[in-house]
Parts: sequence; structure tokens; C-alpha cells
Amino acid sequence: MKRLVPLIILLITIFGLAYYITPKLPQQTELRPLGEFYLKNSYFGDYSAKSPEVVTSILWDYRGLDTLFETSVFFIAIIGSLTLFRLNKKQEEEAKQKAEEFRIGLTLIIKSVTRVIVVMILAVSASIALHGHLTPGGGFQGGSALAVAPLLIIAAYSKYALEEHGLDKTRALIFRSIGLLGIALVALVPLLSGGFLMQNQPIFPAKLGGQLVSGSLIYYNFFEFLAVGAGFTAVFLLLAIPEKVFKKFLRREANE
Amino acid sequence: MIEIHLLMLLITVIIGLIFSYLAIIEKDSLKAIGFSAVHAIAYAIAFYILMAPDIVLAYVAVAVGIYSALLIFVVSKTERYEVV
Repeated sequence: MKRLVPLIILLITIFGLAYYITPKLPQQTELRPLGEFYLKNSYFGDYSAKSPEVVTSILWDYRGLDTLFETSVFFIAIIGSLTLFRLNKKQEEEAKQKAEEFRIGLTLIIKSVTRVIVVMILAVSASIALHGHLTPGGGFQGGSALAVAPLLIIAAYSKYALEEHGLDKTRALIFRSIGLLGIALVALVPLLSGGFLMQNQPIFPAKLGGQLVSGSLIYYNFFEFLAVGAGFTAVFLLLAIPEKVFKKFLRREANE
Repeated sequence: MIEIHLLMLLITVIIGLIFSYLAIIEKDSLKAIGFSAVHAIAYAIAFYILMAPDIVLAYVAVAVGIYSALLIFVVSKTERYEVV
């Protein structure tokens, strides 16, 4: 009971402030000019990104460089955590060996449910990323949804189950590098045909085989999807190494 | 119609506030992670009511899935209970 007192005070303060401040705020009755510009131009208009989804066209076309640097921040964050957990080749091999007293994951119910759900997550994340230029969603959203799938496998089975089926840290890093390289290449391609950096229209075709692909947006979304999903997976694989194994490595290094 | 939406927004945001408070004062780290996940779900609904579906998709995956799992990994490497 005693610990609820601060909460009640907090709630009363917020309600009081809201009650007194809200009537005094000016009411927004019309669109801001910038918002109106994006809404009118994202599909129709002279500065079209050929995408009905305004948010994605702002992210990867109108404000493309912002997202490019955002991706590089994410890249640096992943690199930072990989550096924290760096292992040499021999230690990496040893970390893949299953510890003898290791219990094999959770119960059968959870394992079966995980097996079904992982497939569903893969399908949903791919649809979020690849329809990112048509419906809400995009590369980062799809990629972070994709990263939940290996996470569930690590929780229900173990990290060894992932590695035995071929998804180890090196593979995840390779996928991430392919994604980042793809983003950089798609950003540089317009320079070849006399455009500017990260230009979308009219350099990339808006339709492929009758399907609306919105120029470069689908490529950016796809490569960001790979980069984010694989980057998170690499970090999780490192984090899932049992603490005992790490301590063994540290002790051995201290002895040498 | 807009009043119902505002009411739903108020309720979800208050649920989020209460659970974030509980997450802060909880001494058992695993329980605190659970509270923080509930807070994230409440805020995801709030973002949906505020018509930001792009944020919802990223927020649900990151705040409920990845962030909670990251913290559980961290707790498994240290102590579960906070001792003051």
C-alpha cells in the first residue's frame, strides 16, 4: 500500500495539469504546409515518389539521407556489441560445443508451438518489409519482426539448435553485410546516370511487370530488412553463449 | 466517435503509466521486465489509436520482443534480485 502513494500523487498531478493546460492549447484545424506537400506529392504530383505509403516515401526518398545515417548508427551499435563479445577462432569453435550438463530446451508443448509460430513470424515479417511501399511498415519494422523468430528458437530450443541448422554468427554477419552493401549500392546507382545521391524517380522504374514497386523503395526496404534482422540475430547468438563458457575463457586468458 | 477514441487513449496511456511505475519500483528484475512488456503493449495500442501504424509495427517487435529478451539475457548473466 505504501508504495502506491507516489503513483497516486503522480496520477493526480498529471490529471490536474491536463485539466488546466488542455483548454488553453490552440486547436489545430488545418494541415501544416509541409505535411500537405508530402500527402499531395507522395503518389501524384510533380515530386512523386510513386508510393501510396507516405511514411516510407519520406523515410527512403524525401528524407533518405537521414535514414541512411540512421542505418549507419545501427551498424555502429551492432559493431560495438560484437567488439564487446569478441572471441578468437578457437574460442568460437568451443562456444559452439554443447555443454555436457546442458538441458535440451523447454517442454514439448512450447517447442511445437514455437515451430508453428516461427514460420508465421517469417511470413509476416517478409510481408511487412516487402509491402512497405504499399502499406504501413518497412525495412526496419520487418527486420525487427524477423529477429523475433531466431530469438524464439533460442528461448524454446537453444542457440545450439540454430547453429546446427546452419545459422551461426558468421552467416548472420554475412547477411547483414549483404544488406548494408545493398543499401549503399542502391544509394550510389543514381550517380551513374547523372542523378543525385539516393534519387528515386525517374531513375528506378516505378513498375516491374505490372506491379507497383515504387522505384528504389522496395530495394531499400528489402536490404534494410536483411541488415536489421541478421544484425539482431548475430547479437542474440553472442548473448546466448552461457556465462560459464565466457568465464572459462576469461580465466584461461588471465592464466596465460 | 472521436470521444470514444480519446477515452481509449486515456485508459491505455494510464495503464502504461501504472506499469512503468511498477517496473521502476519492482525489486525482482524478471517481474520488472514483465511489467515493462505490459507497458509496451499499452503504448503500442496508444500509438495505434493515434494513427501511427508504422510506429506500432516497430514498437511491438522491439519493445515487447527484442528489448525484453535482451534484458532477460542480461539478468541471466547477473543477479535476479536487486539488493539495496
